[in-house]
Amino acid sequence: MSYLGNTPTTQSFISGTDYFNGTGAQTAFTLSRTVASVNDIQAVVNNVVQVPNDAYTISGTTITFTSAPSSGTNNVYVRYLSTTTQAITPSQNTVSWSTLDSNVQGDLGISFKNKIINGNMVIDQRNAGASVTINSAAWTYVTDRFCFLGQATDGVFTAQQSSTSPAGFNNSLLVTVTTADASIGASQIYTLRHTIEGFNTADLNWGTANAKTVTLSFWVRSSLTGTFGGALNNEGTRSYPFTYSISAANTWEYKTITIPGDTSGTWGTTNSHGIRITWGLGVGTTYSGTAGAWAGSEYFSATGATSVIGTLNATWYITGVQLEVGTQATTFTTAGGSYGAELALCQRYYFKKGPQASSDVRYGIGFSASGSTTTAYINVTLPVNMRTGPTSVDWNNTLALWAGGTNFQVTAITITSSGASVTDCLLTCTTSGITGEKAFQLVAWSSGGGFLGLGAEL
Amino acid sequence: MNKIVTVKNLTGQDTYHIIRQTGEESYTSFPIQADNPNWIALKTAILEDKAQLQDADGNTMTAEQAKDFVKELP
Repeated sequence: MSYLGNTPTTQSFISGTDYFNGTGAQTAFTLSRTVASVNDIQAVVNNVVQVPNDAYTISGTTITFTSAPSSGTNNVYVRYLSTTTQAITPSQNTVSWSTLDSNVQGDLGISFKNKIINGNMVIDQRNAGASVTINSAAWTYVTDRFCFLGQATDGVFTAQQSSTSPAGFNNSLLVTVTTADASIGASQIYTLRHTIEGFNTADLNWGTANAKTVTLSFWVRSSLTGTFGGALNNEGTRSYPFTYSISAANTWEYKTITIPGDTSGTWGTTNSHGIRITWGLGVGTTYSGTAGAWAGSEYFSATGATSVIGTLNATWYITGVQLEVGTQATTFTTAGGSYGAELALCQRYYFKKGPQASSDVRYGIGFSASGSTTTAYINVTLPVNMRTGPTSVDWNNTLALWAGGTNFQVTAITITSSGASVTDCLLTCTTSGITGEKAFQLVAWSSGGGFLGLGAEL
Repeated sequence: MNKIVTVKNLTGQDTYHIIRQTGEESYTSFPIQADNPNWIALKTAILEDKAQLQDADGNTMTAEQAKDFVKELP
């Protein structure tokens, strides 16, 4: 016969009585069974039932009387009233995440489960905490792996790494609206995006009948309340809009969204984009879809979601972003498991050399050789294998080619075609007045701030 | 603003790049190549009237000029 719970034969009550000889001095006696409470036994001395807690206490297999029972043979006995204590082995697939003690949940915070890199917003190679104005339709990275899209006209917001964070975190990503757009055009998009490389989502089997369910979790805080939106998409043909609510202004709230795996569409499984996750800050109707369902369109948010960009001075923070396999949001961990590992993961997509300290008047970035009177080539060895050969280069105008005590200011740096690999990158520095076939050092020639950045973002 | 520049590669051929000023003294550049994600995003934005383009001399193209120009590029 089938049954629920433990096997009846081992769970049922088993009677029993322990007998002891009183000595007039002994107060503690050892029981044959472990009991959890004074109410699980009945203690009798000289045929008088004792009052639990007042006359005796229990600790494991020890019963301790307040007063030593008088001398006698078997004049002290203990009758067991509850089931026997037994070890229970849960059946497979019967212990859920929520059943576990919170400390156990923390201990099980296994690394490499989180598919989001820099989900705690700690790494900010490009800006080191400085505010970035988002006022164009170009994807602009702020903290590593998180980029924003704005508009060249209408709304403007700033974004920066913040030290305001929920307990257990040091940083978040802050958005502040500086020019509101209360009337968003149908095709206008203000959004935050994180892209997961296909190599890191291939195990989800999306686009197949075996697509795995995932759960997105994050901490969010805003000066606004209401229903906000976002989406998962493959950039073009498949999207899953979602909503989350913020019920209290300026208060951190933890959100979890479980997304059934997509059995349709084409999802990247190599070094191109796998899954793009967006959090809408104000998205027009063309790019907003019905929440909670897969659709064959490109959506960045959910229909009817609250627009952050619509309110001047509105703030919106996010941190602790995690995407993992399964239906349960577990304790946050970084993708790499340590700061160093997380930085290396970030450097697969962006690597910044410098900035130099303010005292470094000639901070050396690397050696180069001139190819003509206006160009010099510099080979940069990358700290980790990047996702692909670098696709963009950042610099500031303090860079110069230096040789023999003379600086030749660099006016442009470009990636030399066919010169980029995942381990090295050849750059062309444009300048003027140099001599061909001569060695130079690429330096930041004024004090403070010189840098070179190489990107291989998705 | 997104400025198109021409740079000779190692074999002396002209290659096209975009240079964008990202701060008071900072810049980013990327090659105009069909598989470059920065170029793909910029080309899309230009075609949707969400971004502008400058020629090598710094002259801003009209929206139509920019669209016609980028349509000829990879």
